[in-house]
Amino acid sequence: MPRCSSKVRRPGWPVPEVAGVALRSDELARIRERLGREPSEVEVHAFDAQWSEHCSYKSSRHQLKRLPTTGTFVVLGPAEDSGILHLGEHHGERYGIVIAHESHNHPSQVVPFEGAATGIGGIVRDVLCMGAQVIAVADPLRFGRIDDPHSHQRYVAQGVVDGISAYGNAIGVPNIAGDVYFDERFDDNCLVNVVAMGIVKESQIIHSYAPPGADGWDLVLVGKATDPSGFGGASFSSLTLDAADEESNKGAVQVPDPFLKSVIMRASYRVFAYLREHGLRVGFKDLGAGGIMGCSAEITSAGGYGARIDLDAVNVAVDGMRPEVIAVGETQERLLWAVPPTVTPQLLRIYNDEFTLPEIAYNARAVKIGTVTATQRYVLMHRGETVMDVDIEFLTGSIRDDLPTSDHAVHQTTTERPLVTGVQLDELLERVIAHQDVCSREPLYRRYDAVVRGCTVIPRGAADAGVLAPIPGSKLGVALSVAGNPRYSRIDVHLAAEHAVYEAVRKVVATGGRPIGLTDCLNFGNPRKIDHYTELVTAIDGLAQAAERFRTPFVSGNVSLYNESASGKAIPASPVVACVGAFNDINTVVTMPFKAPGSVLYLIGKPQGALGGSVLLDVLGRSDEHLPRIDYETVLAQHDLLYEAAQARLLRSARAIGNGGLVVALCVMAFATMRKGQSPVGAQIDDSWQWTHGSVGNLEAYFGESGGFVIEVAADDIEAFEGMADDVPGVCEIGVTIDRPVLAIDDEAFDLHRLRHMWYAPLSEVYP
Amino acid sequence: VSKRIAVLVFPGTNSEDETLRLLRDCGGDAHLVHWSRAQTLPSYDAYVLPGGFAYEDRIRAGAIAAHDAAMDHVIAGAKQGKLVFGICNGAQVLLEAGLVPGTGPVRLPTAAFTRNGPVAHFVCAHVHIKLAIDPVRCAITAALPRGAVVPAWAANGEGRLAADARHLQELQEGNHIAFVYAHADGSVDDTASPNQSALGVAGLINREGNVLAIMPHPERDAWAFNHPDKRRGDDILATSGGAVLFRSFVQALARA
Repeated sequence: MPRCSSKVRRPGWPVPEVAGVALRSDELARIRERLGREPSEVEVHAFDAQWSEHCSYKSSRHQLKRLPTTGTFVVLGPAEDSGILHLGEHHGERYGIVIAHESHNHPSQVVPFEGAATGIGGIVRDVLCMGAQVIAVADPLRFGRIDDPHSHQRYVAQGVVDGISAYGNAIGVPNIAGDVYFDERFDDNCLVNVVAMGIVKESQIIHSYAPPGADGWDLVLVGKATDPSGFGGASFSSLTLDAADEESNKGAVQVPDPFLKSVIMRASYRVFAYLREHGLRVGFKDLGAGGIMGCSAEITSAGGYGARIDLDAVNVAVDGMRPEVIAVGETQERLLWAVPPTVTPQLLRIYNDEFTLPEIAYNARAVKIGTVTATQRYVLMHRGETVMDVDIEFLTGSIRDDLPTSDHAVHQTTTERPLVTGVQLDELLERVIAHQDVCSREPLYRRYDAVVRGCTVIPRGAADAGVLAPIPGSKLGVALSVAGNPRYSRIDVHLAAEHAVYEAVRKVVATGGRPIGLTDCLNFGNPRKIDHYTELVTAIDGLAQAAERFRTPFVSGNVSLYNESASGKAIPASPVVACVGAFNDINTVVTMPFKAPGSVLYLIGKPQGALGGSVLLDVLGRSDEHLPRIDYETVLAQHDLLYEAAQARLLRSARAIGNGGLVVALCVMAFATMRKGQSPVGAQIDDSWQWTHGSVGNLEAYFGESGGFVIEVAADDIEAFEGMADDVPGVCEIGVTIDRPVLAIDDEAFDLHRLRHMWYAPLSEVYP
Repeated sequence: VSKRIAVLVFPGTNSEDETLRLLRDCGGDAHLVHWSRAQTLPSYDAYVLPGGFAYEDRIRAGAIAAHDAAMDHVIAGAKQGKLVFGICNGAQVLLEAGLVPGTGPVRLPTAAFTRNGPVAHFVCAHVHIKLAIDPVRCAITAALPRGAVVPAWAANGEGRLAADARHLQELQEGNHIAFVYAHADGSVDDTASPNQSALGVAGLINREGNVLAIMPHPERDAWAFNHPDKRRGDDILATSGGAVLFRSFVQALARA
C-alpha cells in the first residue's frame, strides 16, 4: 500500500519525531502528556492534520480576531465553512450570498492542473454545504516570470488556468472575476486563490455543525471512494516547498473529479429540497484538510458533541489502506451529513439510486460511517479495535502559537517632486499598456465559462467586477471583485492591505453596486520567521482599518502560510481581498465600454504625486518608497456619488483606475468598443495642467495609481450629475468621447488599434 | 392538453436549469428528466438536450451519451417526428447518435463537433448565428424571419464541425446547415467563427427538419439582463435575444 511522505525540512525549529509528519516535538510532548500514554499512529497523523496551520490557524486565529466581522448585512460571520451576507428580499423571502475564499498554492506549484482544479473543487463544497446553490467562482492568481516558454513558471501559469477551466466549466459554475500578476518572487511559489459564491434563502441555511438534539444522529459520508491520494495534504500546505522533494510532494495533491462533483452538487440540491419540504434541521460540512477525521471532529465538536466513526464502513477505492490514511487522507469530492437516523434512508436513496453515485465513479456513494455522541470523546474504530480515542476539544480547539513580531517599518507618503523621464509619452504608453500586469487578460479568461446558469449580467472583461442576477424573476443583483497588488506590498504591507480592500471595493462601486462585505485570503511566508510573521500581523491591521472605514466586514477567509521556497525566498506579502456588492435593481448596472461619442469624461479622485508600486516606475526600472495614501472621507464621498449617479442612470460607463493609471483606464474603455460590426469610440483628454492645476506632474496624472474612477456622462446629463457632485471633492471634467479609435491628449493622438494590439499580444502568446 | 417537453439530464449535464427556465418563460410545459428516470421519456412530446459534459465527454464530446439507454427513446421519438433540440453538448450527442444530419445509420456519425481550432482549448465568447435555411425548412426555426441573426454564447472545447469532403458536400446539398456564425450586423466571413468550424457551421438539422443541433447557447443571452448595455429601458427580466429560437420551438410544438 502506498505511503506518501512529505519529507519536508523545517529550518529554524525543533525537528519532528515521526517521519512525514509536521508536528513539532513540543506539540508531540503535549499530546503525550494529555493522553497519559504514547499516541497511536492514527492519533499522531490526526493531530498532525488538525494542529497544522491549515486546519487550526494556530498562529493567525487570534490575530484575525481584529478584523471587523459584524454589520448590517452580516447573516453569518467567519465561523463555519462560508460566511453569508444579506442580499435583499424577493417575494417576502430574505436571500443571502454565501461566500468563501481559499488558497491552493502549494499543490498548484507542484502539480498545477490538479492543484488548481481541486482548489475550485474544495471552495465550491464550502459554499454548497451551507445549503446554497453555487452561482460563481473567481480566481486571483499570482505567477512567477513566464517569459521563458520552457520554464516551470510558464508550465505552472498554463496548467493552473487549464485546471481551473476544466473543473469550473464542467461543474457548470461561471467564473466571473479574477486577476493575475507576474512577479519573480512567485517563481518558486505561485498563488492560486479561489473564491466561490452561492445563494441561499436565509431561512434555509444549513450549518456546519450538528444542531441541538443531535445525540445519536447518523454521520453520513457522501462522495468519492476514499483513496490514498492527498494523504498529508494539510501538513504539506503548512510547510515550505522544497524543490528536491517535488516528486514525493506530488502524492500529497488530491485528484480532481469534476464529473462526479457535478452529480453530487445536483443530488445535494435535491436533498436540500427534501429537507425543506420536511422542515428538517441538520448539519452538512465539506471534507477538506484532515479528511474524514477533521470533518467529523469539527462538525460534532462545533455542536458540543463527540463522535464515533467506524473506518471499516468507509467506501474505499483500494483494499488494505491503513487506518490513518482512511482517517486523514484528503480524497476530493466528499462531504459529511449529520442527520437523524430516520432521514438516512432518504439521503442514501437520493444519492445512490436517483443520482446513481455508484455508477458515476468507482465505489462512490453515500454511506453511514458513524454516530454523533453526547460524550466529549472523538473515537475511531478499525477492524474492531479502537485506533483513536481523545478529548474532542483537545483535538479541535486547543492549539495556539503565540509568535514574536517586530516593529513594522512605516513609509512616508509625502508628495514627491514631479517625475521627469526624458521618454516620450507615446513610448511610455506603449510600454505600460503591454506590461504583464496591465495587458489584456482575455486570452486567459476566455477559457473560463462566464455565462453558464444563464444568470450573468456582466461577464469578465465588460466591467471591473462580475455581476449576476442570481434569483430568477427578481431584479436583485450581486457583484464580485478581487484585488491585491504585490507591487504595493513590497513597499508597505500595511498600506498595501488597505489598498487591497480599497481596490476590491472600488471595483464593485464602478459597476454601480453597493459593497456589502469582504472575504480574504492571506498568503504569507513562514510565521516562524519574525519578518514574515510581522508582515502578516501588519497586513491584518491594514485590512481591519480599511474594512472598518468602508463598513465592509469580513465574513470568511483563509490563511496560507509557509509560502516560500526551500531556499528561504518568500513571496511578496499577499493579502488578497474579494468584495461582494449588492444591487436592488440590475437596471442600475454600469459597464466599462464607452457608449457614444460626445459624452463628457470625468475623473473622480485627485491624482497624487506618489508613484511607488506603479507600473510606470516598473517599466522605467525605477523605484520609489512612496505609495498613494487613502483619504477615506473623500473616497467614501466619491463612492456615494457614484452609487447615487448609477441609481439615477447618469453613468454611461465607468472604470476603476488601477494598474497603469488613468490612460490605461481610458484605453481599455475604448478597446471594448472596437469590435467588428460596432462603431469605435475614442477619447479626447485635455492637458493635465487644466484639471490638476499643477498639483502633480503630467506623468503622475496620466499613470498614477492612487485610485478613483473614469466615468462617461451624456452631454444632456451634465447638469444633473454636476448638481449631485457639487460638494464632493476630487471630481473634475477631463475631456470628451470621440467617434474615432484614437486617444488624443491635448495635441498628441495615439492610435488605439495599435495600442490594442500591443495590449492583447503578451498573454495571447502564453495562452494561445 | 399541453404538449410536454422533456429536458434530458445526463450525468455531467450542466445547463439544464436555465434551459428549463427559458422554455417555461417562452410558454413551454417543460420538465427535467434525469437519466435514472429515462423510462418516462416516451410520454413526452418533445426533447431538449441541454449543454454540459455528459459522461465527462469521454472518448469524444457526446460519444458515450449517444449510446445511453435514454437515447433509445429520443431516437425513437425523432423517427416518429417528435421535435428534438440539442444545444452545445446536446448538439454533440445528436451528431454522435447520428440523428443529425441523419444521412447515415443511427449511432454511426457522418460528422462531429470536435476539438476547436486553431488551438484546441475551451473558448467562451459571445457570438451571433445566422439562419442559413428557409425558416420553414426546420419546424423549430419556422417562426424566425429569413436570415435571422440570433445572439448566443459559444462555450465549449469541441465546437468545430468536422467531416470529410463528401459529407460536407452532403450537408450543403441536403440543406442541413441551419445556422452559420456571423457578425452582429449579419455579415459572414472567416473571422465570425470562434473555432474554425467547417463551412462556418454553428447548427445542423436532419433531413426531415424535426431535429436541430446548435453549438452556441442562445439561452445564455436570452433575458434582457444578460445584455444590459444593449437593452437599457426594456423590462430587464423579459426574454429577448436568443429566446427567439426557444419561442419558435414552443410555437412549433403547439402546432405539431
